[in-house]
Amino acid sequence: MDKTAVELQQRILALMARGVAQATADEEFDRLARDVFAFQHQWCAPYRAYCERLKLAPQTVVHWKEIPAVPTSAFKGFALACFPEAEAVAEFHTSGTTRESTGRHYLRTLELYEAAIVPNFAAHLLPDKARMPMMILMPSPQEAPHSSLSHMMGVVMREFGADGSAYYVERGELLIEKLVRDLSEAQQDGQPVFLLGTAFAFVHLFDHLAQQNLKFEFSPGSRAMETGGFKGRSREVSKVDLYGLFERFLGIPKARVVNEYGMTELSTQFYDATMRTGRRTDLKTVPPWARVLVIDPTSGREAAENEAGLIRVFDLANVWSMMCVQTEDLGVSRAGETGFEVLGRAAGAEVRGCSLNAESFVVE
Amino acid sequence: MSTTVQQIREAVGRTGEARERVRQHRSTDAVIAALAQAAKNWLDPSSPWRKRAVERAPAATGFSEAMVSEAVDLTFGAITRESLGELLDGELGDERTGPRLIVHFLAGNVPVPGIASICRGLLLRSANLVKVSSRDPVFPALFVESLREVDAELADCVAVLDWRRDEVALTRAALERAQAVIAYGDDDTISALQRLVPRSAKFFGYGHGISFAVVGKEAMTEENLPQLAQAAAFDASVYDQQGCMSPHVFYVEEGGQLGPRKFAAALAEAMAAYQARVPRGKLSVEEAAQIAKLRGAYEFRAASDKSVGIWASEAGNDWLVIYEDEPMFTPSCLNRVVFVKPIERLESVLPLVRRFASNLSTVGVAPMNKRAAAFAAELIKMGVPRVCPIGQMQRPALNGRTA
Repeated sequence: MDKTAVELQQRILALMARGVAQATADEEFDRLARDVFAFQHQWCAPYRAYCERLKLAPQTVVHWKEIPAVPTSAFKGFALACFPEAEAVAEFHTSGTTRESTGRHYLRTLELYEAAIVPNFAAHLLPDKARMPMMILMPSPQEAPHSSLSHMMGVVMREFGADGSAYYVERGELLIEKLVRDLSEAQQDGQPVFLLGTAFAFVHLFDHLAQQNLKFEFSPGSRAMETGGFKGRSREVSKVDLYGLFERFLGIPKARVVNEYGMTELSTQFYDATMRTGRRTDLKTVPPWARVLVIDPTSGREAAENEAGLIRVFDLANVWSMMCVQTEDLGVSRAGETGFEVLGRAAGAEVRGCSLNAESFVVE
Repeated sequence: MSTTVQQIREAVGRTGEARERVRQHRSTDAVIAALAQAAKNWLDPSSPWRKRAVERAPAATGFSEAMVSEAVDLTFGAITRESLGELLDGELGDERTGPRLIVHFLAGNVPVPGIASICRGLLLRSANLVKVSSRDPVFPALFVESLREVDAELADCVAVLDWRRDEVALTRAALERAQAVIAYGDDDTISALQRLVPRSAKFFGYGHGISFAVVGKEAMTEENLPQLAQAAAFDASVYDQQGCMSPHVFYVEEGGQLGPRKFAAALAEAMAAYQARVPRGKLSVEEAAQIAKLRGAYEFRAASDKSVGIWASEAGNDWLVIYEDEPMFTPSCLNRVVFVKPIERLESVLPLVRRFASNLSTVGVAPMNKRAAAFAAELIKMGVPRVCPIGQMQRPALNGRTA
């Protein structure tokens, strides 16, 4: 391994070890971010070419906000790694929609990746240090070795899951009967539950419970983590409605349901600060080893507070891939608040005239 | 202010009475003359009608003032005695057997189809109930007002109303006595409407479409390129590319004096010039995000792949031209974003677009020579309703059916 990189990795690990609550001063983040930028500029040829096109280089970038962001789409056409991909210990693929190719995130080491997952998850979902069985509505990492989400579930289950933790998706199917059976058992035993899954898996569960006329009322320690959009895979449900369904079918109040925002191309996740602060909020915490900017898509500059824009993430844990990633998701920052809100995927712009557009043009 | 069932029934009654009077006192020629005169009254640069449209239309349509003014020229410039004559094509019946009541459901922010639809109904001396689009409540109402100045009784045959698409009770009330229904919109809107239409009424649905253009190698000369690029930029920029006749892709044949990449560069220059004259409207954050996403993806590719070219407006996102070798048809996110792709021969386009021929609206071609005519014949055989020279894509015949 390159010496600079090892040293960089040590500095980032040290920062993470200080915990989620300890904010980084801008100067400290800036030093690290620009060092990571210099490293990535040196070792990733397509990124360097892109920087040259934008006429930006480590010598000319004076603040982390100026570091060129890689569009997520670039992970599809290019191997964006700062080491030989053949040496990757893991490789995560974007699920993507049909018609699209797959984006790949190559990991040099799991150490940083997992160091980014563990304290952040604990702070946002287990602030009470509870230990309970995790019911994971996703495939196991063995079944989905290229899913970053399954990998992450494997890590948190290993770290925090009590006996009886299990995955409830096999061969692409939600094991609904087993899940309902286990939920019934937990209710009978008066055990709190901890459910983790994608929004569409939960919708599937709630549809099933409605159909079977079933309702649970779990004990107060219960909680849930939901993540991800719908990508046309099930009927779409607004966030407000979804959280109402948690309350209605599981008795889990919305103050104990936490949304996770993450993506294959990143190492760090972002969670609603709901359980961490004890009040329902859509604002996501940005851990000290990351920064998030909301970018005005017209000007390419930072959007004003309360104005929607595209979310740009600076994730130091991505030292071996691409630290600065331009997402396709819309978000907003709020005046007087830290963190950011996710508004959803920047898709489905309305057609104003009579032309089909890239969204509405579907060839059977 | 929302429309009520009562208002709709009154409008049906009122326009029906006006229709009876018009049938007694107006020949078809008199109707044509009145419509042509009303349209002509818009065309003067200082016309009060144009002025009102320019003041009122930008908010709902999203067009700039200059774009609205351009839309006035394109819409009312097309309404002449000759073109109105061609509108009497018998599809809806002739002037003796025309439907008593036609209900028009307009859609989108491009005014031409709605205005043409109203003219069609008046030529048949029918009563016309027009439900405007929320994206353009301005042009239809103003046109009827301008007609009133020329022929008040004829104008009384049209009632322009608006209600929300989900107010089904109002739609039903409008359809109660319809003998013909003309509907514009996306496929879902049209089929939902069709289900509500009484069996006794004729139904004409016009869905959304998509367009592209093809440049033959003969057109790719030093001498011809600036003019060609200007015509192409006009077609792609008008209505901020929201119209179904707006091209998404320009396929350029290789082997000309100048290569396809040169076309992309010239097109970019012409897009900039058009933008300076007729600025694109303001975008929603979602629309701007689509452009940013596309631009980011191609900028990144272009940095490592010299075959990709990208031209963008200097500041902001006013227009974007993307050149790539990949010939697959790429639908644009609209708002003046176009792709330029090389093809070996004109005919190479056919297999690329055959799959969605039924969605095609217009194919622009340059130059219109013998080879292009043979190619156009192939396109028409495939089901393309309209093939025209580049520069004319946004100037369809009033009856929308020119090959």
